[in-house]
Amino acid sequence: MKISVELFGQLSPQAPRRQTLDLASTATVQEAAELLGLNSEEIGMVTIDGIQSEMQDPLHTDCRLCFFPYLSGG
Amino acid sequence: MKLLRVDMNQSQVRWEPVPPVYERLGGRALIAKLLLEEVPPACEPLGPLNKLIFAPGLLGGCSVTTAGRLSVGGKSPLTKGAKEANAGGTAGDTLGKLDIKAIVVEGRAHKGKWFILRIHGDSAELLPAEGLSGLGTYATSDLLQERYGAGSTVISIGQAGEMRLGGAGICVTGEGGQRSNHAARGGLGAVMGSKSLKAIVIDKPVGKSIPSADADLLRTAARTFAQKLINDPKLGSKGAQHLYGTSSIVAAVNEMGSLPTRNFSSGNFEGSGTLRGEYLREVNLSRGGEAGTRCMPGCVIACRNVYVDENGKPIVGTLQFETIALLGSNLGLGNLDEVAQLNRMCNDFGLDTIETGAALGVALEAGSGKFGDFESIRVLLAQVGEGTVLGRLIGNGAVLTGRVLGIKRIPAAVGQGMPGYDPRSLKGNGVTYATSPQGADHTAGNAFGARNEVNPLGIPGQKELSLRLQIIAAMLDSTGLCLFARPPIISNPQLMVDMLNGRYGWGWTVEDYDRANREVLRTELEFNRRAGLTPADYRIPEYMCTEPLPPHNVTFDVPNSELDSVFETL
Repeated sequence: MKISVELFGQLSPQAPRRQTLDLASTATVQEAAELLGLNSEEIGMVTIDGIQSEMQDPLHTDCRLCFFPYLSGG
Repeated sequence: MKLLRVDMNQSQVRWEPVPPVYERLGGRALIAKLLLEEVPPACEPLGPLNKLIFAPGLLGGCSVTTAGRLSVGGKSPLTKGAKEANAGGTAGDTLGKLDIKAIVVEGRAHKGKWFILRIHGDSAELLPAEGLSGLGTYATSDLLQERYGAGSTVISIGQAGEMRLGGAGICVTGEGGQRSNHAARGGLGAVMGSKSLKAIVIDKPVGKSIPSADADLLRTAARTFAQKLINDPKLGSKGAQHLYGTSSIVAAVNEMGSLPTRNFSSGNFEGSGTLRGEYLREVNLSRGGEAGTRCMPGCVIACRNVYVDENGKPIVGTLQFETIALLGSNLGLGNLDEVAQLNRMCNDFGLDTIETGAALGVALEAGSGKFGDFESIRVLLAQVGEGTVLGRLIGNGAVLTGRVLGIKRIPAAVGQGMPGYDPRSLKGNGVTYATSPQGADHTAGNAFGARNEVNPLGIPGQKELSLRLQIIAAMLDSTGLCLFARPPIISNPQLMVDMLNGRYGWGWTVEDYDRANREVLRTELEFNRRAGLTPADYRIPEYMCTEPLPPHNVTFDVPNSELDSVFETL
């Protein structure tokens, strides 16, 4: 399946900020992060289609996956 | 320590010892207690019976990092309840070093006369505010620092405060010519205007250090606290807060569908890409602007920026998330230069950017300007400084603007405009807006930072989360700590207890500390109850409970029974 990915903040230098990934239909957030070479200790928040998600959550076709660093409220 | 009473009726000042009832209180806690003890709760907020209080936190002036915030309080003309707003800059640290527990401004001067309060070492005097009436906060600060020294601290109001507008805040200067630290929320600038007090000038204290009951304990705990902040992945030198400032969360709040957009009609703004922190940093640094500077002496987080124009000339420092949300996406603007210009205008007039952004959004919905059209918005905002009828309306905040212009979609709770998180998709903040004695104020208990504990779109856990955050916020606001410095204290409250015991020798336990923090909320709630506020005054606006918010198409559906029982376990 194809998904779109966007990286924010300090995570973006670790891989291209926006890209499309081609993953197995059973892929999880964790697998996407590993494919991108992200340091999981620097990931503070993940959303799938704007919904807060966890590293073990499954992805779905055409979803939008976002990785954020640790953030503080404004 | 001592209290400085300023009697505007008689144009007199007097020092007095701190009454025992106030001895163990600072910042917001002191303000709450003083209001309950000395101010008739049902009084007119802009009348002579209200009092305006300036108080450093308990740790102000004793070299604890991030603990130099100045709390300002009184009965709010917007919420009609107890209000505390705080600001960075040098005032909190300076008052702490001078051993001043609080400045309490009372009464009301004869109309048309304006004063400045000058504090010089152990003396204070009220002086005519010659040549200052009608000036904005930038010019007021410049003139007073020319007169009394560049190292002095100036606390002032602009035209909005002089006109006693409900959206008026209070400006505090900081190191290196900083002009834009504001105790912005709740209309306290209007209270200062109602006292005919244009400014307070505090000379830089020389050779002042405050005694500590146990200097070693204070020093050790303060060092540990600072080191934990430096090591925190959010706050340290490699953290998003330091690199991008508060604007680091623009993209995340937008992605979560909670970014106020076009008068809170969507939680997702298509132009957010050019508002977010990474973009701000890149553009600003390429122009010669600054990032990662501090707003208070000794702060190790340093999340402030100085945003500059294309020629490298400073527009405003600091350009923050709340301002970007309320004056940017909420008005349909995706251009940081435009947001910065509106920010500077608000700062100069002495206006709260949150309240004013909410009011402008309502005005645009009424057709007084166009979403996304900077020029029509700038002209509207300029009218506040000019004092036109429409300008005064907007300057009085979102609720009054909506009422007069016939708009029912008013993003406010307890009379105060909402900050940069739509409560429909960040329900924990909705619970805070709808229950905090401070009204719709994210600093009273911001659930954004707790997104990993409670589903922001769900109901379960929100009530408990909000209460916990409100208790923590009361602690921060009473000790003088910055909102962002909370992680080490949350994970180890003993650290705060050690700092307080080191400073004062109270022998507190964690239980004593927890009890004191809860008492702040109890005191404020009691003041508000006596002022006549009922549960109905605290509710989230009806349209937010029925009108789904894109992109998640959610309403604020936390039941009133949940809201009404938030403080059952306080």
